[in-house]
Amino acid sequence: MKMFSVAHKTAFVVDHCPYMAESSRQQVECDVLTKSRAQGVIPLAPVSKSLWTCAVECSMEYCRILYDVYPLNKLINYIVSDSEFHILNTWRQEDQSTHELMSALAAVGPPNPREDPECCSVLHGLVAAVESLCKLTELQHEQRTVLMDTAERVANRGRIICLTNAKSDTHVRMLEDCIQETLMDQNKLAAGSDRLMAIQQCELVLVHIFPMGEDALVSDRPKKEISPLLTSEVHSVRAGRHLATKLNILVQQHFDLASTTITNIPMKPTLNVCEQEEQHANTSANYDVELLHHRDAHLEFFKSGDLHMAGSTSRDSGLKETVTLKWCTPRTNSVELHYCTGAYRISPTDVNSRPSSCLTNFLLNGTQAPGRSVLLEQPRKSGSKVISHMLSSHGGEIFLHVLNSTRSTLEDPPSISEGCGGRVTDYRITDFGEFMRENRLTPVAETAPNPGGRFPADRAKAQLERYTRYWPMIISQTTIFNMQAVVPLANLIVKEALSEEDVLTCQKTVYNLVDMERKNDPLPISTVGSRGKGPKRDEQYRIMWNELETLVKTHAAGSERHQRVLDCIVACRSKPPEEEERKKRGRKREDREERPDKNGTKEPEDRAWQDSERLKGALEKEEQESEVIKDSPDSPEPLNKKPRLAIEEVQPSEKAKGPVSLLALWTNRITVANSRKHQEFAGRTSSVNNKAELYQHLKDDNGMDVHENGKASR
Amino acid sequence: MPTVVVMDVSLSMTRPVSLESSEEFQRKNLAVHGLTMLFEHMAANYRLEFTSLVAFSSLWELLVPFTRDYNTLQEALSNLEDYDKTCIESALNGVSNVVQQEWGSSCPCQVVLVTDGSLGIGKGSLRHSLQTLKQRADDKKFPLPFPFPTKMFIMCVANSEELQTTDAMDNLEELLRLSGGDGQIFTMEGQLCLKSVQAMFGRLIDQAYSPFHAVLHCGNLSSDVQVFPRPEPVVVDDEVDPMPRVVNTDLEIVGFIEVGDISSPPVTSRHLVLPIAVIKEAEDVSTGAAEEPEEEVSASQMAGKSPNFCVLLHGSLKVEGMVALVQLGPDWYGMLYSQADSKKKSNLMMSLFEPGPEPLPWLGKVAHLGPISEAAENPYGEDDSKSPFPVQPSIKRSYAQNVTVWIKATCILLHRLTFQRRPRPSIR
Repeated sequence: MKMFSVAHKTAFVVDHCPYMAESSRQQVECDVLTKSRAQGVIPLAPVSKSLWTCAVECSMEYCRILYDVYPLNKLINYIVSDSEFHILNTWRQEDQSTHELMSALAAVGPPNPREDPECCSVLHGLVAAVESLCKLTELQHEQRTVLMDTAERVANRGRIICLTNAKSDTHVRMLEDCIQETLMDQNKLAAGSDRLMAIQQCELVLVHIFPMGEDALVSDRPKKEISPLLTSEVHSVRAGRHLATKLNILVQQHFDLASTTITNIPMKPTLNVCEQEEQHANTSANYDVELLHHRDAHLEFFKSGDLHMAGSTSRDSGLKETVTLKWCTPRTNSVELHYCTGAYRISPTDVNSRPSSCLTNFLLNGTQAPGRSVLLEQPRKSGSKVISHMLSSHGGEIFLHVLNSTRSTLEDPPSISEGCGGRVTDYRITDFGEFMRENRLTPVAETAPNPGGRFPADRAKAQLERYTRYWPMIISQTTIFNMQAVVPLANLIVKEALSEEDVLTCQKTVYNLVDMERKNDPLPISTVGSRGKGPKRDEQYRIMWNELETLVKTHAAGSERHQRVLDCIVACRSKPPEEEERKKRGRKREDREERPDKNGTKEPEDRAWQDSERLKGALEKEEQESEVIKDSPDSPEPLNKKPRLAIEEVQPSEKAKGPVSLLALWTNRITVANSRKHQEFAGRTSSVNNKAELYQHLKDDNGMDVHENGKASR
Repeated sequence: MPTVVVMDVSLSMTRPVSLESSEEFQRKNLAVHGLTMLFEHMAANYRLEFTSLVAFSSLWELLVPFTRDYNTLQEALSNLEDYDKTCIESALNGVSNVVQQEWGSSCPCQVVLVTDGSLGIGKGSLRHSLQTLKQRADDKKFPLPFPFPTKMFIMCVANSEELQTTDAMDNLEELLRLSGGDGQIFTMEGQLCLKSVQAMFGRLIDQAYSPFHAVLHCGNLSSDVQVFPRPEPVVVDDEVDPMPRVVNTDLEIVGFIEVGDISSPPVTSRHLVLPIAVIKEAEDVSTGAAEEPEEEVSASQMAGKSPNFCVLLHGSLKVEGMVALVQLGPDWYGMLYSQADSKKKSNLMMSLFEPGPEPLPWLGKVAHLGPISEAAENPYGEDDSKSPFPVQPSIKRSYAQNVTVWIKATCILLHRLTFQRRPRPSIR
C-alpha cells in the first residue's frame, strides 16, 4: 500500500437524524441466564438496539480493527450529522483511538426523535467530510516539508464511509451529486491555500441501514466511477449482525487484511454453567480463534496456490476466506532467532470471546520479558509438517510472524573458521563480549537533552569509536588487558568525560603498577610464538608501560583530565624515553620473538638491578640485543634525547632527586642501551632544545650510513 | 539469489558467424564461450551462487539442477545438442517450474536468457505468444510475471542493428517489461566475434555478478568483507520516494542488542558476511578467471592466520547471544549475528530490515537508541535481569485493554457475567 493511498484518510459519516432512533428489530434475549430462577419472577423482556446503536457499534468495530492493525498513519475522522455536522476528532495522531471516539460519541448521545426531520440530513456530514479530506494530516505535512521541491509527490486521497438510512436510489444519487459538487468547490478553494490540499481521489462507500424484516428501499451497487475524482459504491444492509459482518468485510477490503484461524489451541476445560452455555457444541477442549492481519502474511500461500480455504466458519464471522493454521506445541524459545520474512500486527475478530481473550492473554502475559511466542503449523494435504508462522507478543502488541519454510539459498556456507582470521585461536572473545555488553543500546526519550544536536544513535557510534581506539584483538597482542590491576583505568579512560574521582582512580591504578614493578611482580606477558620463558621481567614492564601509554594517549586529547592521567603515567614510569619507545613499538615486538632464542639460557635472575655484577651482565645482554636488531654499537648517541610530551613532568622529578641514585644510573644505562637498538630520528639527533631543522637529512646522510654499517657489522 | 541460465539450442543458433578469420564459429559457440566466461567468473568470485542450466527449443529440458559445482555446468555446456525451433514461452514455463520447486515462490531469482534474437516462427514464437497474451484461459496463462521476484537478463548473440531490422527487439523489450521490468537486454557491439561476446558477458558480470565488497566498522575496529548475495537496491514507496536505496559500502555498527530483545525480527533479505583479505577483485572482474591458484592458496593461508575483526565479532556474538545493529544507509538498518547451519558450521550473517526510521516497533526509532552509559541507571540492571525492550506502544491494542464489543448478543450477556466470578480459561 502506498503511503498516501485512499487508506491514509477515512472519514466516517454517521447519520444522527431522528429516524436513526428507530429499532433495528433484532432482538436480544435477556432471559437465558435465569433458567433456574425461582418461581414467580417475571421473565425479562427481550430488548433491541436502535439503528443508531448498530451503526455506532459497527463503525467502532471497524475502527478497533484498524487501530489494532495500523496504529499509525491510517487515520479516521469521525463525523456525526443531524441538523448540523459534529466533527468528533481530527486527523491528528493523538486523536486516533477508540477511547477518544467513544467518549465523543457518549457526549453526542442517541438521536433525538423529536427533532425536526426537515432540517436534519446526512448531507451536512458529507460536506464536512469532503472539507475534512482537504485538510493536511501530520504525515502529509511532514512529508511535504521533507520533500521540498518534489512536494507534489505527496498525494491527497481519501475515503468516505457513510452510514445512513437512505430513502431511495434517487436519494443516493442526490447524495453522490452533492459530494461531487463539494469536491469541485473544495478543490478550487484548496488550490489557493497552503493549509489545504486538493483531493485527487475520493472513494464513497455508502452503507444503507434498514431495520430487520423490512424491504430494502435502496439497491446494492458495485463500485462505479462518477467522475475522475469520485467513485461510489452502495451497500444495502439490514441492521444488527448483518451490518457488523458487512463492515468487517469492508475493513478487510479497505486495508488489505486477511483472516487466519488458529486451530487446535489447547485450553484447560472450564467447569461452569455459563461456560457450557457459551461453548455450545464445542465440547472439545481445543478452540479456534480467528485473527485479522495484513494479507501479506499469506503471500506465500497466494503465490503457490496452496491456499487452504476453511470456507465460512461455523461462527457467524461472515468471513468467506480464512487460512487455518495449527497451534504447535512445544512452544518456541524466545532466544532463538527465526528467519522471519514479515511480521504483521493482528486483531482478533471477536475480541471479547473467551477463546480469543484466552489466546491474547496467554501471549501478552508471558513471564519472559519479550512476551510469549507460539509456532503455527500449516496443515498440508501431503501430511508433512511445515511451520510457516509464529504468533509473538512484543511489548503488549501481538504480531503474526511469517517464517521462511523454503530451502535457503545460503545453505552450506563456508565456516567462519575457514576464512580470513579463522586460524587464529586466541581472540579476546570474552573481553569483546564484555565490550558488547557495555555498548548495548537503550531507547532514549526524545525529550532528553541532545548534546551537539546528535541523535542517540550517533552518540552510540561515538562511544564505540572511543572504546575501540586501542583494542588489541588477540590475547597475545596485549599485556595490560590481561592484567586485573589495569581494569579500573582501562574502564574509565574510554569515558567521554572524567570526574576528579575518576582521575584519582586512574592515578591509583598507575601507582599500583609502579608498586608492582618495584616488587617485581610477574606480568601476564604472552609467550606465544616464542621459545623459552619469554622476555625478561624489566622488559615485560617496559612493554606493559608502553602499551598503557598507547592506550591513554589515544584519549589524552579528550579532556584536560584525560591528559592528567597520561601525565601521571609518563611521570611515574621513569624508564626509557617513552615517545621513542612508542614509535619503535612495532620493531620491539619483532625483537621480543627473536630474543628468547639467544637469551633463553641466560635469563637474568630477579632483582638484577640490585647487583652491580649482574647489572653488568644484563648490560652485556642489552648490547647483544642491540646487535640482534642490526644496529651499530658506535652509532652516535643522541645527547638531547628527552621525552617530548612529559618534559615538565620528568625533568623536575629528576632534578629533585639530588645525588644520582642507583635506579637513575640503571635507568640511564638502559636508556642508552635502548637508544642503540634503533636508528635515531635524524631530526632529533641534530636538534637544539628539541627544535630541529626540517629536511636536514637531505644534507646529512648519516642515518643511512649507520644503517648500512649495522648490516655490515653483522 | 539463484540463477537460471536458459540456453537457446534451436537450429538458428547454429548459424555461422561470418568472419574473415580461419576458424568458423556458430552463434552457439559464441554463446557457449560467453557462458563459460560467466561460469568461470562465478566459480572464482561468486561461488556461493546456485546456478542451474535449462536448454530449450520447442521443448525445454533441465540439464543441470541448481548447483554450486561449476564444472558440471561447464560440462553440460560442452555437450549441448541442436534441436528445432525457438519457443520462449515454453522455456519460461520451465523456468517457473524449476525455480518454484527448488526455492518456493518468494525467493528472488535471476534469469539469464541466452538467445540469438530470432524468436521463433508461427505458433510458439515469442511474437505469437505476446499477441495472444490477452486471449488466454486461466490454465494457459503466459508465465510472466513469475510468482517470485525476477531479474531478467536477456543475452542476444546478435547486434542491435540486426535485431532492429525485425520486431525482435520490441518483443524482447515487451518480455522484459512483463517480467517486472527488473533486468536488462544485452546485445553485442560491432562484429560478432569472441571479443564482442566477452565484452557482452563482461557487462552482465559487472551488473549482476560482481561481488559486493564493503568495510564493516565497529568504531576503530574494521574488516573488509564480502556481502553475499549482493544486497539489491530497495524502493520504499515509488510515489513519495522513487529513488532506489542502496546499501552503503561502509557498514557501521551502532551498538549491540540481546537476541531475546530483538526477538525474531522481520527481514527483507539475509546475507553472508565473509571477511576478505584485500580488495583485489577490481581487476579480476574484467580479466575473468585468469588467476593462478597456487598464489591464491598461499594468500588465503596467510589471511587465515592474521586476526580478523569479523571472527572476533562472530565469536562474541555467538557466545553472548547478541546481535549487532548495523547501519546500512540513511534510515536503513540491519543486524549482524552468528548463524549456525545443521552441520554446526557457523558464520557471520547480516539481515536487512525494511528501510525506514523504525523498522521494528518493539525497538522504537533506531536513531533514538543510545548507549546505556547515558542512562541514569543501567536499564539492563546490575545483574542483567532487566531489559529496556520491548518498547511499549503509547496506546494499548484492543485485546490488551478491557474493550466492550456488544455486537453479538452473547457478548452483552458475557459482560454481565464478568461480575460473577468465573474461572478464566488458560492454555495448557
